[in-house]
Amino acid sequence: MLGEFRRLKELGVLSMNSRNADFIMEGNPRSLFPLVDDKVETKALAEKYQIPTPALYYLVEHQGSIKEVPQKMAGISEFAVKPARGSGGNGILLIKGQNDKGFLTQSGRTITRAEFAYHLSTILAGVYSLEGLEDKALIEALIHPDPVFHEVAYQGVPDERIVVYRGVPVMAMVRLPTRASDGKANLHKGAIGVGIQLDNGLTLSGVHHTDLITRHPDTGHPLNNIQIPYWEKILLMSARVTEMTGLNYIGADFVLDLDLGPVLLELNARPGLAIQLANQSGLRGRLEKIDQAPREIFQTAETRVAWAREAFGKHLC
Amino acid sequence: MKRPALLLAILLCFLAAGLMTYRILKLGYPLFPMAQGQVWQVVIEADIEPGQGESQLSLGLPLPRRGNVLLEESVTSGSYSFNLLRQGSNRVGAWSGDGGDERQGFRYRAVVVSGPKRISPEQPPREGDYTLKIAKEELTALTIFFASWKNGTPKLRLEKILDLFKREKEFSSPSSPAVQKWAEVEKRYGRSESLLALLAAVGLTGRPVKGLRLEEGIQTQPTHWIEIWLGKTWEALNPETGERIKNPAQLLPLAVGDLPVVKPTNAKLTELRWIVNRQVVRQWKLLFERIVRSNHWLNRWSLFHLPDNFQQTFRILLLVPIGALMISILRNIFGFPTFGIFMPVLMALAFRSTGLLFGIGMFAGILLVGYLARRILDRLHLLLVPRMSVMLTLVICCFTFLALLGNKLGQKEFMAVGLIPFVILTMTIERFFVVIEEDGLRKALMTSAGSTAVSVIAYLVLNWERLQIFFFVYPELMLGVAALQVLIGRYTGYRLSELFRFRNLRKAS
Repeated sequence: MLGEFRRLKELGVLSMNSRNADFIMEGNPRSLFPLVDDKVETKALAEKYQIPTPALYYLVEHQGSIKEVPQKMAGISEFAVKPARGSGGNGILLIKGQNDKGFLTQSGRTITRAEFAYHLSTILAGVYSLEGLEDKALIEALIHPDPVFHEVAYQGVPDERIVVYRGVPVMAMVRLPTRASDGKANLHKGAIGVGIQLDNGLTLSGVHHTDLITRHPDTGHPLNNIQIPYWEKILLMSARVTEMTGLNYIGADFVLDLDLGPVLLELNARPGLAIQLANQSGLRGRLEKIDQAPREIFQTAETRVAWAREAFGKHLC
Repeated sequence: MKRPALLLAILLCFLAAGLMTYRILKLGYPLFPMAQGQVWQVVIEADIEPGQGESQLSLGLPLPRRGNVLLEESVTSGSYSFNLLRQGSNRVGAWSGDGGDERQGFRYRAVVVSGPKRISPEQPPREGDYTLKIAKEELTALTIFFASWKNGTPKLRLEKILDLFKREKEFSSPSSPAVQKWAEVEKRYGRSESLLALLAAVGLTGRPVKGLRLEEGIQTQPTHWIEIWLGKTWEALNPETGERIKNPAQLLPLAVGDLPVVKPTNAKLTELRWIVNRQVVRQWKLLFERIVRSNHWLNRWSLFHLPDNFQQTFRILLLVPIGALMISILRNIFGFPTFGIFMPVLMALAFRSTGLLFGIGMFAGILLVGYLARRILDRLHLLLVPRMSVMLTLVICCFTFLALLGNKLGQKEFMAVGLIPFVILTMTIERFFVVIEEDGLRKALMTSAGSTAVSVIAYLVLNWERLQIFFFVYPELMLGVAALQVLIGRYTGYRLSELFRFRNLRKAS
């Protein structure tokens, strides 16, 4: 067992305790957490830094305004409903169309107007919010995923997670929904994480729960060597996230929209550790390398991205 | 940032060790404070309806022997007069007077320390101390039949008698005339009396004893046992089973020999009961009397100065941080999930009143009922706060039902259900439901197992009396616990669960 400890240490794997104590508590002041925990704030901030996010149609702030929603959304057939302070993809409702009976969801189910209003109401009551506090509901433009992952995603919207430390992209993966994850891109619900080579944006192999895989369990297509479009742009956007929030250790989630290109979906002040399995590489080694990097590379997002592609690109085969 | 935490931990340890050392070296505290023996309060309550004229009630009183020390005795006698009489080795309390035909109540109270270190040598029996009820010719017959046994040591003789008594070994078939004779005597005089006769026949002295069991509760009938003189000590036997009583210090004799435990004269006994209570705090007080009396500021600030019932609370409270420490270890070093942070410790506290099995059973039962109700409730689309209120109401309903059921069945453990922290239980049901929904049944069961394990361990720790005394005498030990908590707070290494999680990470970077 001691050997196992040593092995993980040699691989530079970041442990949960170390992530919490050495990176989150060290680099992420608690006062800044609301910026990423609340999607409304994140959105406003991203706009200021010219990072695109899905268009906001309507913000439901009070139980009283729920009844106005159908009227406000009358002309729009496609949209997404999200809790502002939600976590783990809970409480998200994707609407594909409307008819007399109510709303048609992405998964093909029809929900009545009453059910839709109830869903909004539970969001506002804080059922999905991080601390169970009162929440707001965002009604946003529906993302039309870029077909690049068409063969390796089961429904839902794949997203790209990039861990950023002190403005330098550290490690990246794409999260692919599966049948088991119910179209959600959350790894603990059964989605797949596929590592991304940081220098050229090509996918590596994947991780499903804690098992390594090379093919998608539902579609059977190989997971590696998929070129992520707009890779340079995604890296640059992620590198600006630190300036935007002031958080030193952060996970940035992007989606690829067919029309808009990469869009910032949400930020996470406590990004998970499974990305290490997806990349077959430890975070800790890379984080230490960033701490030892010369000061001049931190000047602009461009220099940080260039350094990261150079430093972390050749680690992988 | 690692260094300040380490320094703090060292400082805390240093403080704790320093205070402890000071207490031990300068104030003469015991290094391993241990309460020897147990302290019991024995109360005898008796009511009589006196007849015309002078009436009397005689009661056998606790005997200070066999490692039992009587500490303080008091009597209430109303208008009657009280006399303490000695009859042989017995002490008899006699209340006498003319009370008219009014009902009279008497009370005797004593504190008994059982099983202290030094046991004084016991008095050997004298010739003719104890008389037998058996007819002379029967005894003579038994003496003749078992004449050959007289040669062995008292111990050996007793063993043979017990084999015969239990029909074991060579006596399992009633073939020999000696065994048949014995069976006849036993049938005629009862087990206890015939056993005494057999003892006398082989030259051993036995005596019947009536007394109390030293265990919490109310006894309305005295316990009977038989004692046999083995040359140096009296060996105690259960006359019904013939088994040796392993811990005679747990028995408190009231009447030795033929003397009755209670004897009303010209009066009718309407009520008689013996109430035995364990007195933990008093027991500690006795042992640390010096601390209580000393004028040193550390002694004056000792927890022993708190009123008794608060002391009771604090000897448990001081151990709660250990429970919290265990949860930190389980979560941050083992990576094992528990529901909530302190739920297991609060459960452990509740288990103290409900008992472990009942506690876990009731908790699991209500959790299951709550989970099913929560599933049904989920369809009603209730909002968060009202929904939690409904769940809370359900939990209280379950409590009420269990308490009423307990009352019907006479199970006081069910009635103690009210001490289970109901808010925690309600939250746990919600967490349990959410974990099943989001992470599946497996994870929920694992989390339940983790929580149960911690609460059981915490329960055992909280009830560990030696540890209670240790922390009570040296409350600074809590600083040591805090030091460990600080150290765990700075443990940034891998959790055991992560060894499993990252087992597939192979390539070196």
